[in-house]
Amino acid sequence: MDLRALLRRTAMNRPAVLALALPGATELRPAVEAELRRRQWPVVDAPAAADLLVVCGVPAAEGADWLDDIERSMPAPAVRVVVGVGEGEARQIALALDAARRELIERAVAPQPAEHAEHMEHMEHQEHVEPMEHVHHMDHQGHDHDSHMDHMDHGTHAMGDIAGLPMAERADDRDGLRLDRLHVPFGPGLSDWPAGLILRFALQGDVVQGVEVDHLPVPAVQRPPFWDEPWLRAAHGEEVTRGDAARRRCAAHLDSAGRLLAVAGWDDVAARCRRLRDELLAGATRTEVVGELRRTVRRVGRSRILRWSIAGLGRLPADRARAAGVTGPALAADGDAYDRLLMWLREIERGLEDLDDVRPLAPDDRSGPRGRLDGPRSPSQALLDVLPALLTGAEFAGARIIVASLDPDLDELALAPATGSAHA
Amino acid sequence: MPEAAPLWATVVLPVALAVAALVAAGFDAVLSGAAERGPAGSVRETGRRAAAPLREALRLLVQQPRRTTAADRLLGRLGVVLIPVAAVLAGAVLPWGFRAVSDPSVGIVWFNAMEALAWAAVWLAGWGPNSALSLIGGYRFLAQGLAYELPHMFALTTAALGAESLRVGDVVAAQDGVWFVVWMPVAFVVYLLSALAMAFWGPFAHPLARDAAGGAAVELAGVDRLVFLGGRWLLLVVTAGFSVPLFLGGGHGPLLPGWAWTVVKTAAVLMLLVAARRALPVVRMERYMETAWMVLVPLTLVQALVVAVVVLNR
Repeated sequence: MDLRALLRRTAMNRPAVLALALPGATELRPAVEAELRRRQWPVVDAPAAADLLVVCGVPAAEGADWLDDIERSMPAPAVRVVVGVGEGEARQIALALDAARRELIERAVAPQPAEHAEHMEHMEHQEHVEPMEHVHHMDHQGHDHDSHMDHMDHGTHAMGDIAGLPMAERADDRDGLRLDRLHVPFGPGLSDWPAGLILRFALQGDVVQGVEVDHLPVPAVQRPPFWDEPWLRAAHGEEVTRGDAARRRCAAHLDSAGRLLAVAGWDDVAARCRRLRDELLAGATRTEVVGELRRTVRRVGRSRILRWSIAGLGRLPADRARAAGVTGPALAADGDAYDRLLMWLREIERGLEDLDDVRPLAPDDRSGPRGRLDGPRSPSQALLDVLPALLTGAEFAGARIIVASLDPDLDELALAPATGSAHA
Repeated sequence: MPEAAPLWATVVLPVALAVAALVAAGFDAVLSGAAERGPAGSVRETGRRAAAPLREALRLLVQQPRRTTAADRLLGRLGVVLIPVAAVLAGAVLPWGFRAVSDPSVGIVWFNAMEALAWAAVWLAGWGPNSALSLIGGYRFLAQGLAYELPHMFALTTAALGAESLRVGDVVAAQDGVWFVVWMPVAFVVYLLSALAMAFWGPFAHPLARDAAGGAAVELAGVDRLVFLGGRWLLLVVTAGFSVPLFLGGGHGPLLPGWAWTVVKTAAVLMLLVAARRALPVVRMERYMETAWMVLVPLTLVQALVVAVVVLNR
């Protein structure tokens, strides 16, 4: 083997991964993250930095062209794999990653000409759907404008195009000055972002002028939303222990806290939260995790810099939250992004005590990690409803922290009929 | 008066800086590994984690570069390349022990000017790809520059004031007895903060932050990314290294030769900075700006005043 091939092989031995989750496949994301961590493959947050795109969940036949766009904006050699929800997930993930690495190495050792524009044949998995009419267009991150911006339905392209890209329009800012206004869609292809959520920002400078909340279609699946599973199963009369429910709640909050901390730029603690989440999901006992968990929670709670950095963002007083139908930690926190983080941490510490509780969960206990599951709307729908008010007028730098501090779970949007039938 | 270094030092300098950057990145990777995967357990595993930056560099070399629509390729590339260039040029006035590649009479001004190149570089790199998020990242660095640069310049001025010279060699010579850090602690701390800010790294990584999916670097792939992020490590090493002649007595120290002391002290400062990243989240610039102007600027001014009074009375 010549040296060049050897180097390429070594380089792609641990490819950088961009992992995206689709609605309905929430349980796959921690599993994939845990497997990537075990393999020590770097995880990145932009297509440009990635060699491998791992999609958790099988995309719907229509409207999945945003995934093609993301893949097209990855540098060669680029490979995409899709992991579906189903039996033997851990094995399936491992097999898919192995296959992807083989493919990557093959492509790296024998590079194909003209990779980018060309639509490449992909390994196994689903058929590629030709872009249909762009009902609503989903951009991953506002780049690759050629295929995105022109489908924006805001219809103010009178300024003319540059290289096929529309110019920014103009609108009054908060002081009544006419300034450039740019429409930047966010999601669904961002990391540390609620799976499937799309926010269409109208930005003026770095101020969010307005936001439209949208999301990918949430498939109506048989299984209840992953994070709410114990409570919904108990409601259906299944045997669920309090320990299981506490475990799931702790893991859900650790997941949310990990995302918020990652977005706030504290990678060290975010990584610890994720590791603890995966240990809990894998069934670690209280004694195995309690030490590290307490240390981590204390570290976050004690950080004045963190408090100074995110306090005051996304203020949601209890009365406004209640009026919007918000329940759960976001209501109890009665404050800003920092208060909501502290509320998660407090619930984690409380849940820690019940981790090994084998008594059955009361069937009328419906207080899921994000709020009451028996309300007129799912907890996450209420969180989505308050988003525009919290984001409008915020600065861009705070916008993602606000979203992460609410962390709506779009799987819950498919919940409403399920809870209804549970009552019957 | 320190003597000029031999000509070969010019060639050695970039290599030495790159090696130092690789070691620092390796140390950082070991700490990250501990957070992500728990304690390493064995020496072998630690070594494997420490080699992560090297593997990453190789991976980026294999990756193909990519481009975005209507990109400003010239300015974007220029921005990317300027980062390591600025770092190496700033390193030229860095004394190893008592010798630098060059020791001009305005060495401190030269150093600061090269750092200011990084302003242009990050902004250009953010501008180049014609992408909203990368432009946001670029602009964030301008805001960051406004926040850190003024206290930073006062900190540099304080050290120059104490030595009554802008020549780096003179600053080192003036610390023959007492290191400047002893009577200029505020300037030293402010300098370390701005060293992180200048390298837009750790708590000051806002221009490349995750909330903008990587900010100024979001569209960089392959070699571009390697040069940009590698250049960032070089900047961190150089700015950390420059705190040694400014505040920590340069090559002065017992027993060991001057160059060895420089290496030891630089390593200590770098370790401190890398460890600081573990303890701190990213500071958003709108918050830091307030502190920088309301707290740090007055503090550094008072520090400069104290030093000026001492110098006038000795």
